[in-house]
Amino acid sequence: MTKNTKVILGGCAVFLSIMILLITATPASSGSEISILEAKINESQYEGRYITTEGFLVNGSVDWEPDTIELRFTLEDEDGNELDVYHHGVRPDNFSDDVIVIVHGFLNDGILEAEKVQTRCPSAYEGEDPDNYDPDFHRELLRDDKEDGS
Amino acid sequence: MYIIGNLSIYLALILSVYAFASLFLGIKKQDQRLIDSGRGATLAIFILASISMLLMFILLGTSQFQFEYVYQYTSSDLPLLYKLSALWAGNAGSLLLWTFFLTMYAAMVGYSKKMVRNPMTPYIIAIMTLNTIFFYLILAFVTKPFMLLDGVPPEGRGLNPMLQDPGMILHPVAIYLGYVGLVVPFAFAIASLILKNMDSFWVKMTRRWTIIAWVFLTLGNVIGGYWAYTELGWGGYWAWDPVENASFMPWLTVTAYLHSVMIQERKNMLKIWNLSLIILSYALTLFGTFLVRSGVLTSVHAFGESNLGAYFLIFMAFMVILAMYVLMSRYHLIKKDTGQFESFLSKESSFLINNLILLGGTFAVFWGTVFPLVSEAVRGTKVTVGIPFFNTVMSPILLALLFIMAVCPLIAWQRSSMKNIRDNFLIPAIISLVIAGLLVFMGIRDAYPVIAWSIIAFMVLTHITEFIRGTSARRKVTKEPVPVAFYNLIIRSRRRYGGYIVHLGIAIMAVGIVGANFDLERLETMEIGDSVEIGGYTVTYENLAQRSEGVNDIVYANMRVERDGRDLGIMQPERMFYLNWEEPSTNVAVRSTLRDDLYIVLSAWEEDQRATFQFKVNPLVKWVWIGTYVLVIGAVFAVWKGRYGNVTPRYAGPQRKVY
Repeated sequence: MTKNTKVILGGCAVFLSIMILLITATPASSGSEISILEAKINESQYEGRYITTEGFLVNGSVDWEPDTIELRFTLEDEDGNELDVYHHGVRPDNFSDDVIVIVHGFLNDGILEAEKVQTRCPSAYEGEDPDNYDPDFHRELLRDDKEDGS
Repeated sequence: MYIIGNLSIYLALILSVYAFASLFLGIKKQDQRLIDSGRGATLAIFILASISMLLMFILLGTSQFQFEYVYQYTSSDLPLLYKLSALWAGNAGSLLLWTFFLTMYAAMVGYSKKMVRNPMTPYIIAIMTLNTIFFYLILAFVTKPFMLLDGVPPEGRGLNPMLQDPGMILHPVAIYLGYVGLVVPFAFAIASLILKNMDSFWVKMTRRWTIIAWVFLTLGNVIGGYWAYTELGWGGYWAWDPVENASFMPWLTVTAYLHSVMIQERKNMLKIWNLSLIILSYALTLFGTFLVRSGVLTSVHAFGESNLGAYFLIFMAFMVILAMYVLMSRYHLIKKDTGQFESFLSKESSFLINNLILLGGTFAVFWGTVFPLVSEAVRGTKVTVGIPFFNTVMSPILLALLFIMAVCPLIAWQRSSMKNIRDNFLIPAIISLVIAGLLVFMGIRDAYPVIAWSIIAFMVLTHITEFIRGTSARRKVTKEPVPVAFYNLIIRSRRRYGGYIVHLGIAIMAVGIVGANFDLERLETMEIGDSVEIGGYTVTYENLAQRSEGVNDIVYANMRVERDGRDLGIMQPERMFYLNWEEPSTNVAVRSTLRDDLYIVLSAWEEDQRATFQFKVNPLVKWVWIGTYVLVIGAVFAVWKGRYGNVTPRYAGPQRKVY
């Protein structure tokens, strides 16, 4: 065996171990982006799995307990499907009626226990605030506007 | 102003097309006049780009709201500094800045004294001009910086408050300087391939360029992290966000490149590898821009949606195919005179392993970044991999890298014997084992931090050994006193010792990064007078108050901080409400020491002055910033022009009639 082959073999071993590391780490820490409807229909399938979903904040559903730092609210999609959310944490900025809320967390008995709650604002400043910008949503918004107009 | 602005853009576009055509024809016909004309054009383009920049600064500085860009990103109440820095707040302006740097570099290379009468020069500036053409096409047709609105709005929309931070003045500039800097070695590499010049001339010539670009990339990333830490208020400095990854990937590949070119210079090996690395690094800068500007991935940075990203993807594909074609067509020539490994246990092979690990890391980051896209294409659902994925994968990679860094400098070139290894490593190894024992004794039971800190200690010690051995070897010959010998030693081989200082900087950063394993967090709602204990600190909520700063209102809390009965003063976490911006922003209160940072965020408050705070104690964060300073000092030291070892590499490749 020449020295070059030896070195190449050693190199392959290094690269292979990184690949194995990658493949084993992927499923354990992945989550799915799903819609509220999917979360409702396939509840059992997503039970205990990390998911991300989004919806409109239902008017008047916000229940904020400052002393225990618990936040409960309900999200709905365009068709009126609702999802209850529980979050141990504070209200994010702009947490007012009709705002779009993105939640990340685990589905448990039909309630989403959110680890992270973010808002996205459908206001005149769209596209300006990099934190809350979502191209898909605005594309839909634009499409809806056009449909309304016609 | 409108006319001058647009003229400067369109004229530069025409000139850059002209420059490329003229250089191309000049090379083809071997006509020196055409080459000189093309070179002159690159200088003219640079002057035009400077005019565009100056004009934009004037428009922003004087709040000319009839210009769309000025209207979109500034308002009249902004401090002048932020009015000006709004130049890189949006797509059009930031691309203008990028173009400006690019044309500056092209002119610098074109008129470089070291490249006089060098037949590579026309090729290099032609390749750089290809980039310039692309950027001017974008500026002229896609995101035009000098657009007029129909009327003159009385007030602009204002700059996103999150961008009103010193970090945001520097971060984009540093990143762009890093990105653009990589065009230079890329252009040199391709030029030398086209010319069939197979020696390491291009590597030697671009060493400074690459290191400087690398330093700016490092700075850009760290400043971005510092900004996120103090401005975003989620308590950390790195979240493996797609955009952070986008600038981290080229950093990794350039780091690999900087090491593997040393093998090429000394041993004439790994030529194809180095060429591939520089092409990859260059391609990753464009890919990163594609990620940031296209909005395909949700990220904190996402610029407004546009098809700009697609253009970058197309341009990247074009340049990569071009580069690969040139590389493949010269493959047999490169292969002809490539050196061989002489021993398994040598500096060469340890450099190669370092490269493989860095590249593996790059691939891991790439995988995690594009995984949502791939899974959506394959399975229809966007599967996201979160921060845990990156942490699981990158932690062992970091450890392996630190270990290689510890071992590598002490292994001899070509061949190392067991005895030589024993001599070099025995004492550092013993001391680091003692440190590991001490850490366990101090009550740290997690395996990862103990292993990591021991390896870091090992690495620092082997580097110090290296300094000591060098100094004493010098003293044996010269009989100089220690400080003089030390000074003369490092000043005479800047590259080597500069590199070691960079390593030490990385070690200091790594100490801080590993410290993140021990962060503490508490979320508390407090009444006035309540106290919270966290990580040895006692924090008392004294009162909630309000003040005005210019047109903006600030709500803040006074928090008294004590540690071990000692009063450490008041910390004031704030929420800032803006006249011109809908959302309030968080101003984190941070008290930073070498030991840990106390980090307080004012999250919410009620009418009865109860307030909810997020408290964090982040150990050793300051080490990350200090390590960065050391790294920059080391890198600057390595590229500084000194009296010693500063020879301009001699061009020995094929000659042409034109240069």
